[in-house]
Amino acid sequence: MPLLRDRIVDATTLVDVRAVVPRGIDGTRIGAGTTLGELEVDPQIPHALREACRLAASPQLRAMGTIGGNLLQSTRCWYWRLKYPCWLHGGDRCFARAGVHREHAVFANTPCASAHPSDPAAALLALDVTLRTDRRELPLADLYRLPTDDDREMTTLEPGELILELDVPAPEASTYLKAMDRRLFTFALVGVATARTSGGTRIALSGMAPIPWLLDGEEALDTATPLPQNAYKLEIARALIRRALAEVSA
Amino acid sequence: MARLIKTEKEVEGRYTEQWVVVDEDALEQWPAGARDTVGRPAPRQDGFQRARGEAQYTADIQLPGMLHAAILRSPFARAQIREIDLRMAEKAPGVRGVLGPGTGPLTDEPAYQGAPVAAVAADTDEQARAAMRLIEVEWEQLDPLLDPDEAVRRNELVEEPNHDERGDIERGLAEADVVVAAEYRTQSVLHNSMETHQSICQWEGDDHLTVYISTQFVWGVRERVAKHFGLPTDHVRVVCRFMGGGFGSKNGPGDYTFVGAELARRTGRPVKAALTRREENLDAGNRNATIQRLRIGARSDGTLTLLDGEFVNSTGWDGWLASTGGPMRMLYACENVRTVEYAAKLNTPPMLAFRAPGFVEGTFGLECLMDELAAELDLDPLELRRRNYAQHDAMDERPFSSKNLLECYRRAEPHWERREAVRRSSDGTWKRGVGLASQVWYGGGGPPSYAWVRVGADARATVVTAMQDIGTGSATAMAQIAAEELGLPIDHVEVSLGDTARGPYATISAGSSTIPSMGPAVRSAAADAARQIIEIAAQRHDREQRSLSLKGGRIVCSDGGSWPLEEITCLLESGQILGQGSRGPNPAGMRILTFGVQVAEVAVDVETGEVRVDKIAAIHDVGRVINPLGASSQVEGGIIQGLGHTLSEERLIDPATGTILTQTLDAYKLPTIADVPEIVTDLVDEPDTHLTNLGSKGLGEPPIVPTAAAIANAIRDATGANVRSLPISREEMLRALREASEREQVGASAT
Repeated sequence: MPLLRDRIVDATTLVDVRAVVPRGIDGTRIGAGTTLGELEVDPQIPHALREACRLAASPQLRAMGTIGGNLLQSTRCWYWRLKYPCWLHGGDRCFARAGVHREHAVFANTPCASAHPSDPAAALLALDVTLRTDRRELPLADLYRLPTDDDREMTTLEPGELILELDVPAPEASTYLKAMDRRLFTFALVGVATARTSGGTRIALSGMAPIPWLLDGEEALDTATPLPQNAYKLEIARALIRRALAEVSA
Repeated sequence: MARLIKTEKEVEGRYTEQWVVVDEDALEQWPAGARDTVGRPAPRQDGFQRARGEAQYTADIQLPGMLHAAILRSPFARAQIREIDLRMAEKAPGVRGVLGPGTGPLTDEPAYQGAPVAAVAADTDEQARAAMRLIEVEWEQLDPLLDPDEAVRRNELVEEPNHDERGDIERGLAEADVVVAAEYRTQSVLHNSMETHQSICQWEGDDHLTVYISTQFVWGVRERVAKHFGLPTDHVRVVCRFMGGGFGSKNGPGDYTFVGAELARRTGRPVKAALTRREENLDAGNRNATIQRLRIGARSDGTLTLLDGEFVNSTGWDGWLASTGGPMRMLYACENVRTVEYAAKLNTPPMLAFRAPGFVEGTFGLECLMDELAAELDLDPLELRRRNYAQHDAMDERPFSSKNLLECYRRAEPHWERREAVRRSSDGTWKRGVGLASQVWYGGGGPPSYAWVRVGADARATVVTAMQDIGTGSATAMAQIAAEELGLPIDHVEVSLGDTARGPYATISAGSSTIPSMGPAVRSAAADAARQIIEIAAQRHDREQRSLSLKGGRIVCSDGGSWPLEEITCLLESGQILGQGSRGPNPAGMRILTFGVQVAEVAVDVETGEVRVDKIAAIHDVGRVINPLGASSQVEGGIIQGLGHTLSEERLIDPATGTILTQTLDAYKLPTIADVPEIVTDLVDEPDTHLTNLGSKGLGEPPIVPTAAAIANAIRDATGANVRSLPISREEMLRALREASEREQVGASAT
C-alpha cells in the first residue's frame, strides 16, 4: 500500500487474494496467508522464524501482514522510496553509494546498494524452506536473484504467480538475532538467522545485501565490500553470528 | 495603578527590551508547600475528552463548504523556476483556486527543499493533491551550499556572529594545570508533532478573518496575519482549543496559513491547509545541527580557569542564532569565558525553536567536556560541578532570583552513589555505568498577560483568558490556582481559553513561560473576585471584611461562623462577580533561571554498540510546583524526547543534492515506548520568593536539556569511551569504543 500511495507502483485494480491463498499452520506447512502475529505465538514454528516475526514491525502490522507478503517486501532504501532516478528504478547509478548509506548493503552492493528488509526471509533462508506457488515448488533461495543490468527484478516470480505455501522443515535448533536503531518497530541494521540440522548449520542475514543473504560460514564476512558509512555492520554481524551459532550449537 | 516600565522580555533565551504597562503585583506569595489544591496532584480536566476522542483539534474541524489546500513544494535544495504552467491544475476536477509564485510566501527561487512554490484549493484533499501534481514546472537546478564551516568562511550567515567574552582566555590557559579540548557534533532533529502544522482560514466579508490553527501563540498569529492582510488586529480572530504538540515549531502562523488565507479570500470559502507527514518532515522547522569546538582548563583542584567554545549552527535558509554557547556562559563560575556562535545560512529548511533551542545542544558539549576533564583530573564528576558552582550570574554580575542547584545535587546523591553497584552489575559484553549532567535554562516568563475570573450565582468559577494549552496541562494548573485563591474545589472551576475573541491577551506558550506568565495573572484575577465576594458577604452578614476568608466552598469568619459561598453568590441571580488580573513585573536586576541535574544509568553491549538506558533520575528546581502530576508528565515527556535526540533521531540529507532522505517515520526514528527507561522525577518545589505572586517558573524545557549529556557520561562511566556525536548510533558507539581501546593500548605501551 505505501508503494501505491507513493506512486512507486501504479495500479488501477487491486485483487484480494485471501480466498485463494491458504492461511494457517499444519505441521511443517505454513499457508502464505498466515500472519506474522500467528506465527510468532505458535509452538510448532521453529524458534528462528518465531523470533524473526516477533522482532519485525509492530503488533498492529504483524496482525495484518502475511508471511507471503513479507517475503516480497521492497527495499527501504530512501533514494528508491523517494523515487530518485536510481539504478533500481532503471537509471544508471546508485545514489546511496555516493550518498547516505548507513543502512545499506555490505554484500553484492554494486550496482545497487539497497538492503533487503525482511526478518522472516533470513530465518526461512537459514531454515532451508521450500515454497509452493500456483505453478511450481522452489527452494526459498531461488525466489530471490541479484538484479542485473538487463533484469533489475529481485525475485524470480512470474507475473501473476502467487506464493501459496511454505514447507518449513524442523531444525534441531535455530535462532534469529537482530540489531536495530531502537528497541522495536524498525528494520534490521543486521539480522542473523542460524539453523542447525543433521546436514549442518546454515547462516542467513537480513539487511546486509539486496536480497536475503545466505552466508557460507562466518569467515565469508571477510568477503564483504562495505561502504564508508556501513562497515560497522560487519562488526555487529561478527558478534551476532558468534552468538547465534553458540545458541544453536549441539 | 497601571505602571509603565521598561523590562527585559525573554523567550527561548532571546532577550528584548520593551515597554510594558503592568499592574502592581500586590499579593503576598503563599507559604511554601502544598496548599488545598495548589501543590497537589490534579488529573487534567480535559483528560477524558482527549482520551475519548471528543476533544476537537484543528485537524478535526470541518466547516461547511470548506476547501482543502495542497502546496507544491520545491523538490530541490536550490533552484530557479524558468517556467510554470498552472493551467492544467486550474482545470482539474474540484479545483476552486490556484496560486503561483509571487503570491505571499510562494517563491520562484526556492532556497531549500520543501519551500512553497504554488498552491491549489479544491473540494477534497485528494483533488487538491491531484491538481497540484498537474502543475508543470521547468526547473533550473542550482548548486546548494550545505557545509556549515564553508558558509562561515564565506560569511553566509543568517545573522551576525555572537562574540562574547569575559576575563582573559590567555590568563585562563596560563593558570590551568589541565586543558581538555574536544569537538562535539549534534544532529538536526525534527519536532514531528502528532498533529501536523495546519490551519483553517475563513473570511467574513473582506475585512474579517477567522483562523483556526494548531498554534502555541494565538495572539502572535493574530498580529502577523492582520499585518500581512492589512487588517485591524481586532478583525482577526484566532482559535486553538486543543493542540496536538508544537515543541517550539508552532510559534507563528507559518507559510501554510498565509497561503490558506489567500486562497480563502479568493474563493470566498473556508480553506484548510494541513501539512502531510512528509511536509512536516521537510518544512516545519527543526533543531539545527551544531559543531562545537570546545576547550576547558582547570587547576588540579578542579577550579575552572577557562571555558572556550566555537559553535557553528547549521541554521538553514532562515531562522535565528540559537544560543548554543549559553550553557558555557551560564552554568559554572569561571572567570575566563569566551564563546563565538555562528548561524550558517545553508540551502536546508529553516530551523525553528525546539524545546530549549541551543541549550540542549550546548549542554551536550559542555557537560561531556566536564566529565572528560573530571577523568583527566581523577575527580568525581559531581564534586567537580560543586567546586565550580556559580553563586551569581557571571555574565552581568546579577544575583539569581533563586537557585537551588546545590539542593538538586544533594538529592542526586542516592542515585549517583549507585555507581559502584551499577558498574559491578556489568555482565558479559554488557557494561553498565552511571552519568550525570546539570541543566540551566530560562523559564521565568514575564508580562504582559491577563486573565479574568467570573463567578456565577451557582458559586462556580470560570477562568477566562486567551492563552492556549498546547498539551502540557497548563489549563488544569490555571484551574488549580483559581480554585486555591477562591477556596473552591477544583471541579467548581473551569477554564475558557484558546480564542482571541473570548478573553484577554495571554502569553506565548514557548520558553517554558505559560505557568510563570499566566499563573500570577490568574491568581490576581481570582483574588480580585474573592475580594468582591468578601465585600458582599461582609455587608450581607454584617462582619468586618478582614474577618472573612474563602475556604472549602464556604465563606469563613474568624468568629467561627461560616456560610456556603452559594448563599452569597445566589443573591446575584443572573449577575456575576468579575475579577481581573494581570502578570506583574519581573524582579529588577535579577537573573531568573531554572536549574537541575539528571542521573542516567545505562548498559552498553560493547560488541554490538547497542545502548540501553535503564533509568533516568531527574531532579529539577523550577520554583513552586502547581501540579505535581502534570509536572512529572512534563519531565517524562522531556526525557523521552531527549532520549530520541540522544540515541536514534536524525534528519539525514543527501550530501550532493541537499534533499531530505528521512521524510517518513520509518526512516526518521523516534523512540518507542519500549525504549523508555524508568524515570524518577524529583522537583525541589521551593517558591522563588522574588518572582511574582506564585514563585513558579516553567518546566516545559528544562527536562530535555541535560538528558543527552547524562547518557553520554554514563556511557563513558560504563566503557571509558568518549562519544562525541549525536545520535549515539551503533556506528558512533563502536567508533568511540574503538578509539578508547586504541587510547588504552597507546597508554599501556607508553608505560
